Amino acid sequence: MKSVKVILLLIIFPFFLSVAHKYYVSVTQIEYVKEKNSLQIIARIDVDDLELTLQERFDKSINLTSTDEKPSADDYIKKYLKQKFEIKINTKEVNFKFIGKDYENDQVVCYLEIKNITSINTIEISNTVLFDLFPKQKNIVKSKINSKINNLIFTKEDINQYLNFK
Amino acid sequence: MRLLKFLCLSIAFISLNAVAQEQEPQKSGHTNQNKFKQLYDEFSTPNMFRTGSGAPGPAYYQQQADYKMDLEINDETAVLTGYETITYTNNSPDDLTYLWVQLDQNVRTKDAPAKGITTSRVTPAQSASRFASTYMSESFDGGFNIESVTSTEGKALSHTINQTMMRVELPMAMKTGDKFSFNIKWWYQINDHVKNGGRSGYELFPDGNRNYVIAQFYPRMAVYNDVEGWQNSQFWGRDEFALPFGNFEVNITVPADHLLDGTGKLMNRKDVFSKDMMNRYEKAKKSFDEPVVISTQPEAEVREKGRSKKKNTWKLYAENVRDFGFATSRKYIWDMMAVKLGDRDVMAVSLYSKEGNPLWEQWSTKAVASTLKSYSRMTFDYPYHKAISVHARRQGMEYPMICWNYGRPDENGKYDDRTKYGMMSVIIHEVGHNFFPMIVNSDERQWTWMDEGLNTFMQYVAEQDFGEWYPGALSTGDAAYPSRRGPAKNITRYMGGNQDRIAPIMTKGLNTYQFGNNAYGKPATALNILRETVMGRELFDYSFKEYANRWMFKHPTPEDFFRTMEDASAFDLDWYWRGWFYSTDWVDIGLKEVKKYYVSSEPNQYAKNYAATNNRSLEDLNWVYLVEEDSDEFDNKLRQGTSSDNSPTLKEYMMDNFTPEERNNMEQPKYFYNMTFEKPGGLVMPIIVEFTYADGTTKTETYPAQIWRFNDNEVTKAIASIKEIVSITVDPKLETADIDTSNNSWPKEVKESDFDTFKNKVKGK
Repeated sequence: MKSVKVILLLIIFPFFLSVAHKYYVSVTQIEYVKEKNSLQIIARIDVDDLELTLQERFDKSINLTSTDEKPSADDYIKKYLKQKFEIKINTKEVNFKFIGKDYENDQVVCYLEIKNITSINTIEISNTVLFDLFPKQKNIVKSKINSKINNLIFTKEDINQYLNFK
Repeated sequence: MRLLKFLCLSIAFISLNAVAQEQEPQKSGHTNQNKFKQLYDEFSTPNMFRTGSGAPGPAYYQQQADYKMDLEINDETAVLTGYETITYTNNSPDDLTYLWVQLDQNVRTKDAPAKGITTSRVTPAQSASRFASTYMSESFDGGFNIESVTSTEGKALSHTINQTMMRVELPMAMKTGDKFSFNIKWWYQINDHVKNGGRSGYELFPDGNRNYVIAQFYPRMAVYNDVEGWQNSQFWGRDEFALPFGNFEVNITVPADHLLDGTGKLMNRKDVFSKDMMNRYEKAKKSFDEPVVISTQPEAEVREKGRSKKKNTWKLYAENVRDFGFATSRKYIWDMMAVKLGDRDVMAVSLYSKEGNPLWEQWSTKAVASTLKSYSRMTFDYPYHKAISVHARRQGMEYPMICWNYGRPDENGKYDDRTKYGMMSVIIHEVGHNFFPMIVNSDERQWTWMDEGLNTFMQYVAEQDFGEWYPGALSTGDAAYPSRRGPAKNITRYMGGNQDRIAPIMTKGLNTYQFGNNAYGKPATALNILRETVMGRELFDYSFKEYANRWMFKHPTPEDFFRTMEDASAFDLDWYWRGWFYSTDWVDIGLKEVKKYYVSSEPNQYAKNYAATNNRSLEDLNWVYLVEEDSDEFDNKLRQGTSSDNSPTLKEYMMDNFTPEERNNMEQPKYFYNMTFEKPGGLVMPIIVEFTYADGTTKTETYPAQIWRFNDNEVTKAIASIKEIVSITVDPKLETADIDTSNNSWPKEVKESDFDTFKNKVKGK
């Protein structure tokens, strides 16, 4: 019997198990609250996938858990999101503030805010969260800006989306 | 107390549409698109195989496939070799000239087409290790090596392999009632399921030992039936299995220091159990509250260190099962507990290596027992003699009488809520699968949701039971088991999402997006809503039990389920199946506006217009007038007094038609509301309305879904009330999976957004 090398293929075939608890989709809501000059972002990402990504990217010892979590976990999440979530408003790059995160079932819910936005004419979003470890990942962004609702889908092949409100 | 019903009749003007016919361009014709249209077009015509009531018909048939197998696992090479005799019985009215045999391990051959259908892209830059693993490694070759396919006389049978399906040519056509036996000799390389994925395989531990969870390991018969002919749709890896029932006689040879359990009765227990194990086993059969350990952790730790060169053969025999799975390892701790179901005792069993403790010794067997009780109550008493839960990393998969489940604490034995509840939920789910599809044997290859959706719904019921029966299993702060799937509000994000990424439930599993939501979450939620809100538990439970009992040990299709639920309840469900299962519509029902009216003695504009247009006098008409609170005609003094005080016409009518005693006992409504409901979402659902009165009390009314049958967008309801209503809420308990509740209240609620709630919480810390 020839011995075979067992390896991890990049095109990992997703053997969905009977329980199939795996998601490959993240959902982010972006809402422009004009009265507060603020762009409010709520991003929901699968906990297991984010944890694996952070471990691979930064530190193998990172643990995302609702009990006894190290405070550094938030710092890593913030760092990762700043690398993977880029927004330009009216052609200028803007920085968001990481307000915090919560756990909901199998997901991490991250709250981000961009303040001092007096008006939005155009917005450009780049959302590459989890693509580095999960090429099949799809990121959905539901935006509510200037009373218009848009559904944007980001994939490894399509990482930039642009909306014009003029 | 008698309400003035006639008052409502005489104010019929609210529903009168005295609007002149507008000039509209003529629309083109249409077919019946009404949401309440019966499903005649979608369903097959009932026939002798499957009746209009959703039951097996007089000509219903199913095939049988019996197996006699000798297997051996070489622990050093992780290769399984086998020899089987398959006996196939043709109960169909058709002549068969060939048989189809399933070769599921072929999804893992070196150049399997299954690998070809996943999309990929060249990455411009990546780490060296990823580059090497993508482009430079030998890929795993795990397919079946078929050494021979022979008749009982030993003659070679002509056969053709198409990926995961093998066609065996019959030397003579099989007629109705014929039995045909043939032999297959094969071997395959068992896969490392942790590294390569898969629903079976082994996990390699740092100490060099393996935990084998073995299934799909043998060439097995495909289903032949009245709906599909041969169900020989390829196994691409996602949709699961369609399998006929039969009897299995399996002999498995493994190293002598291994423990093993699988589908069926262990026929040679005395050969493979030590005396201690036999004694503990006898104790376990009488232990109904706590599991008894058959093989302890210290004993397992001793075995782990050895590598016996001797072998043992375990003999298992199973009747009327659709598949066979077994687990074996020298690392196992084994415990069992007895469960009373009806007039029989069933054994709940767990097999786990020490890495699963302390979680597994505490909860696995209890979760198995609890699940059997819940499911038996809702369907039928579990007909097999045991149910096993095997600890396996990253697994969650079901086979008759045995399943693999994840849930492992860290090296220090610590686990968080996510791990604990994850483990309990997966055990409940996989053990539940014994009922759907192992016994109610639907075609998983075509309809993933028929077993996964029904099972996930039942899982929710069983989880809630488990939380009640074992409150010690819950964490502090959890009043009930925190089920992830089942409650209506948990599915709204999926249903209200991007339509490009949603497929109807009635779609072959291979082709759906968001597989978990599509085949598990949404159908489970749909059934839960049907049970708790639309039909009610009494009607639902009776019909669900009827379905399970009609189709136990048989092969149902979706229509058989849909028809039976209606047949047994007299509850029209076509609109529900059509909306929830055949379309991707979502629920959004709200209050568009509410107008409040009071009785007045002054003729209103409506009455004046009517009198003028129809040349009548107001004195002759002698109507009771209702005036809207926001209109110019309203006068604040109308808020005082009763309705009859404010309308002489009404007062006189009452005095002329009712005795003083009757008038004394009458209750007069004072407040009148015209509610306009809107339905931006496509799904028709009942309208659940909660009225909150000025005195703080509440009342809930439900208008059945049929209210939408004439107008799919807007309906109005007029109500009269003795007490003043201060607020009206649609679906106050979030039972209908309404994706947007911002339009559900009158007066309109200004709710703090989720974002602000979280922000304020963080600030407060």
